[in-house]
Amino acid sequence: MKRFNIAIVGLGGQGIITMGTVLKNAALDSDLQDVSGSERRGGAQREGYVETFVKYIFYEDNSELKDPKKNMHSPMIESGGADVLISLEPLETLRGAYYLNRNSTVILNEMPHIPISVRMGQTSYPELSYITCELEKITGKIFLYDFDKISLGNFNSLTQRNIIALGVLFAKTNIPIDKTVIENILSAGKGAKDNLEAFHIGLTL
Amino acid sequence: MSKGNLFINGKQGDKGIVLGNEAIARGALEAGIGYASMYPGTPASEIIAALDKNKNNIENLYTEFSLNEHISLHGAIGASWSGIRSLCAMKNVGLNVASEPAQFLSYTGVKAGLVLAIGSDPGAPSSSNEQDDRWYSLHTYMPIIEPSNIQEAKDFTKEAFNISEDFSFGIMLMAPSRLCHNAGTLHFGDLRDRSNIKGNFKKDPENYLNLFNMAVKNHSKYLERHNLLKKYLEDSQFNYTVPPDTKKAGSKIGFISSGVIYAHLIEALDILEIYNHKILKLGFTFPIPDKLIKNFFEGLDKVVIVEEAEGFLEFQIKKMAYETGFRGEIHGKDIFKAAGELTLDDVIIGTGKFLEKAAPAFFDFAVKKSEELKEKLPQRSGTFCIGCPHRATIYSILKAVGFSNTDAKDRDVVIAGDIGCYTLGLLPPYNAMDFLTCMNAGLGIGQAISRFDKKKKVIALVGDSTFYHSGIPALLNAVQNNADILYVILDNSWTAMTGHQKTPSTQKDIDGTLSNNPVNLKDLIKSLGVSYIKSLDPNSVKRFASQVKSALKEPGVKVLIAKRECILQEVRRNKLTQKVSNVKIETAESLYEIQKSRCVKCNECFVELACPAIIPKRDNNENGEYYYIDPASCVRCGVCFEVCPNSAIRKVEFDLKSELNKKVDKVKLTEIKIQI
Repeated sequence: MKRFNIAIVGLGGQGIITMGTVLKNAALDSDLQDVSGSERRGGAQREGYVETFVKYIFYEDNSELKDPKKNMHSPMIESGGADVLISLEPLETLRGAYYLNRNSTVILNEMPHIPISVRMGQTSYPELSYITCELEKITGKIFLYDFDKISLGNFNSLTQRNIIALGVLFAKTNIPIDKTVIENILSAGKGAKDNLEAFHIGLTL
Repeated sequence: MSKGNLFINGKQGDKGIVLGNEAIARGALEAGIGYASMYPGTPASEIIAALDKNKNNIENLYTEFSLNEHISLHGAIGASWSGIRSLCAMKNVGLNVASEPAQFLSYTGVKAGLVLAIGSDPGAPSSSNEQDDRWYSLHTYMPIIEPSNIQEAKDFTKEAFNISEDFSFGIMLMAPSRLCHNAGTLHFGDLRDRSNIKGNFKKDPENYLNLFNMAVKNHSKYLERHNLLKKYLEDSQFNYTVPPDTKKAGSKIGFISSGVIYAHLIEALDILEIYNHKILKLGFTFPIPDKLIKNFFEGLDKVVIVEEAEGFLEFQIKKMAYETGFRGEIHGKDIFKAAGELTLDDVIIGTGKFLEKAAPAFFDFAVKKSEELKEKLPQRSGTFCIGCPHRATIYSILKAVGFSNTDAKDRDVVIAGDIGCYTLGLLPPYNAMDFLTCMNAGLGIGQAISRFDKKKKVIALVGDSTFYHSGIPALLNAVQNNADILYVILDNSWTAMTGHQKTPSTQKDIDGTLSNNPVNLKDLIKSLGVSYIKSLDPNSVKRFASQVKSALKEPGVKVLIAKRECILQEVRRNKLTQKVSNVKIETAESLYEIQKSRCVKCNECFVELACPAIIPKRDNNENGEYYYIDPASCVRCGVCFEVCPNSAIRKVEFDLKSELNKKVDKVKLTEIKIQI
């Protein structure tokens, strides 16, 4: 059995849960594939930390599929257990950094959302260079983009930033899922034209 | 869910990605329910929402978002007694409200199957406590079923209806938020024929009349049924032992677990590469199967119970071990914490320590690293959505009582919080609440404080949904007993926090359909005997604040209704009714902007109002930061415009058509601004 774990973090309203749902729907093709992963929704509040996990499970054979010690999966990812961490907010990348190990890939959005504590002058928002420096102490595979700017520039809206990040996931990591599966899912969903375009923008970044 | 609507059309052989809550709903559908109700509550809301939004395409299904859990469970009982399989869902604290019907359910029994699905919330990310409702079973005798994953969520729910009917118990299905909001693979089953779902209340006074000696008789009857169920569960599919890996010598230590924590345990042991222990999985955790557990004890000298919260299983198993003469060690809460969510990490660490097996290096490295980082990170808390009328209400109240958000303890008024989106007002920067516990505690506790502390004025907050839930008796009580209190009803027309279910205040659905029987809140309150009632738009912050001030000067019970619809619903309706799939900046007809020349960074909009659309920006040509209204996130509510004491915020309106004509390509807002 092999696992491929993706943690997606960011803020309420950034499309974190949608990303997770798209990725999970890509795991329906084979009986030897399974997917699990919980979402932390934290009410309907905005600006709060949100995370979702996508855990792909690939069974070697049917006997593993029936083995009660192999076919039950926690909805969570353990510390250091993420193959990929996608973060749509720089500071939250550090909050989600405990999912990282030395071989993890990090994809992060460089557009900050300042928390209330910073607004009130109680703390300061760390410099982007501090954030990337801390991440580099863990892994060398860091991909940094201004997804907000790219989404605004291409679509005049922030809505597509998460789908652009999905494209980067397929371009920069060894995610064991065929990108055409994602394209098919996006084509069947709402806003298909923009989403497909956004996914392709991400693929070429 | 992809591939069409599997939720209503899926059949044996189909596979889909489903949310835990949807899996519970689907299991109920496969079992042929005709009734589904709840009072909305995170994390359980999607259980009934999934059925409700599809009800027009499901034959003979009645769904209801009831006004409270007490009514909701009574409704499910009525349906069951009418021969209709019924599903009732609620969040953990909802059972406190529904505990009265729950206490009677085992006495009277059910007719058609009844399942009560409870969404618990360990770690309380969406709740005001962490209560483990499994303890209710020790006095209600309601059996408990605990699925571990999405598939079991559906399969167990479906089977629970049969068990409910066979033993005449309402069955509690426990789903913590990690299951409710787990999304994963589900293999569908077939639906029952729904054409013959028809109600028929067969009178059954022997069971349904529960008074005096009849109650005593019913009591002994359910104890008998309990023992029958206990026997049945000795060799049911729900409880089983996973043997140790045969290649390795068996250990004298065994594990017992249930629910999502069982899934954590299996994965934790895999991560630790430990396979030589037998594990007892309990799908039913009340009643527990004595013989099965006794057999499990054979050959063991230590048993470890892995579970969340206070140790409901440990409590039962220790009692049972005493009775059966097992004298080995039983561990549980000495290893695994009771407060806070029990995470996969907690199970890896606890199990590893107990078995003296080191966790993998990558795990230790990550745990250490995150502890280092955690100390340095600024805290982040959630807040109101951009344009939320609650932000304006909370801001106005704070201004009216002469306080900014600095130190709530110094205020000479008491602000009583309650449950809903407006609860976020207790967080920084507003710090607007002095206490918060359960539904309608605000007015309930507040009216007594106002009676005994005459020096402080008391303001109690409540949302429309919470008010209809159980606030009406609290308000009537305040009036009847001459309390001196200002009651602010933040009426946004929706149960917003749980995903926008309708309330009696809802006038118009998001597709524009008018509700047929909305309540006139003002008239309702008037009829309770309140003479001081004002209803106004909280976005007019100055007017609202001065109204709060004058109301506080009046004696008795005063009611202010902060009447403005939830901004998310307003925006959604606009998108739907104008058939715009995606509102983009280029369709904007106005914007608010901060004029750098006039802004002195007084922080009234940035910190006091703290709208997240107002952000700090740096300009290369100037020194320092300036405040900027992000046009991509601003929803044009105009509240910042009203609060600015320096008239530095202005509204810019422009003729969209002519602006669009000027540009051949996509019009970018920044470019429009330059032209104005």
